[in-house]
Amino acid sequence: MMKLLDISKKYGDTTHKYPFEPYNVAKNFRGKPAYTFDLCIGCAACGIACPSNAITVQFNDDKSKLVWEFDCGRCIFCGRCDEVCPTGAIRLSEEFELAVKFDKSALIQRGELEVQYCTQCQKPFSAKRLIKYSFECLSKANVSEKRLEEAKEYLGVCPTCKKQATVANFTSGKEMVIE
Amino acid sequence: MKTYEVPSDIALANNLEEKLELLKHIGRSFSVFRIDCGSCNGCEIEIFAAITPLWDPERFGFKLVANPRHADILLCTGPVTRQMYYPLLRAYEATPDPKIVVALGACGSTGGIFYDAYSVLSGIDKIIPVDVYIPGCPPHPASIIYGLTTALGVMDQRLQKVSFEEEGEMPSLVETSVMGNTLFERDLLVQAKRLMSYVFGRKLYDKYLDALVKSGDIKNPKATKISITQAMQAEDDPRYAECMGILHNEIYTHYVPCEEEDHISLHRVQWGPK
Repeated sequence: MMKLLDISKKYGDTTHKYPFEPYNVAKNFRGKPAYTFDLCIGCAACGIACPSNAITVQFNDDKSKLVWEFDCGRCIFCGRCDEVCPTGAIRLSEEFELAVKFDKSALIQRGELEVQYCTQCQKPFSAKRLIKYSFECLSKANVSEKRLEEAKEYLGVCPTCKKQATVANFTSGKEMVIE
Repeated sequence: MKTYEVPSDIALANNLEEKLELLKHIGRSFSVFRIDCGSCNGCEIEIFAAITPLWDPERFGFKLVANPRHADILLCTGPVTRQMYYPLLRAYEATPDPKIVVALGACGSTGGIFYDAYSVLSGIDKIIPVDVYIPGCPPHPASIIYGLTTALGVMDQRLQKVSFEEEGEMPSLVETSVMGNTLFERDLLVQAKRLMSYVFGRKLYDKYLDALVKSGDIKNPKATKISITQAMQAEDDPRYAECMGILHNEIYTHYVPCEEEDHISLHRVQWGPK
């Protein structure tokens, strides 16, 4: 009995004071993914990487906005969104106090991004910011002025129109010059 | 599958006022019955971690009981498999009214990674009314304690629905390359992440670029070799030191014309704590 008291004296009080004092999580703790809307370009890499589809990126009903939505209740905190995000818009934070009472919608984070309309068929196909970001990347990647001018045009064309244009170009019988 | 309809007498005895009344009465003594509805046991392990002396939830009266008839709070985990459907209902009906239902973990709150699997009902709230959701996969013991204290009203809810609707001005997101070619930075980051995963890979990338800039003349392989070797020798963590050398040999030499002697021979450089 006395030995037990000695041991407890040696180690002291190890109980965390948590609800009454803040608790510091371990280093590199994977908490709630923090979303910075200003950095988000709507590339949907996180939506594709997310194994439990907690992040969805899709058009809203009338296709006027691209909606990025994160449901914290479904998130499994794997950090793949953090891994793939090219701009650092989503980073795992150290937030662990996530419980909500009565209303589940408090778990949701969403951002609405403006859509880019195809210059040929006028249908929405991507986020405006993604197009802007792609152009910015190209302009800093040692590409010639002429290629940049071309890029400005084809970045605004949706994949379907691009495909049709390529097919039309291939089958027209014109000679192509690759610089 | 036809899901459960809460009988009117249970629904009546469990309205919001009754629950708030219960919360007022149970104060600092509440019994929790834990029901596993097909969970992977991760959440159970965290519940038992939360009731150890390290967290000691009996400070505010949290006590696990072995029978739903003794419980005030039902702590449900798992995505509710078809086999656990009736046992969950039996436990729910056996718990005295008014009762508080807590959905624990990603699976309990929404079905988590199993949300569209054929054999689960995805989420406790598809079957019985849930009061508190504790997300996490599995939740940290501190999250569990936070959730239960939130249910009791000791702590306030932190999370609110966030919705951004208006776009501001987009900041410039692409940094100017030190090499004059952003493809160098891209390849460097990809290789750094491949070597050391995304958290440490980003740190490695920063360390490598710092050392490269410090050399003064980035396109001179002789100067950068000296600078990177110095950075490797000064590095305390052997993982970063070795990976910096690998990055230099694999990526840098592709972008700057290098001789064989401009590679860093990794076995000749001494690194690690002195």
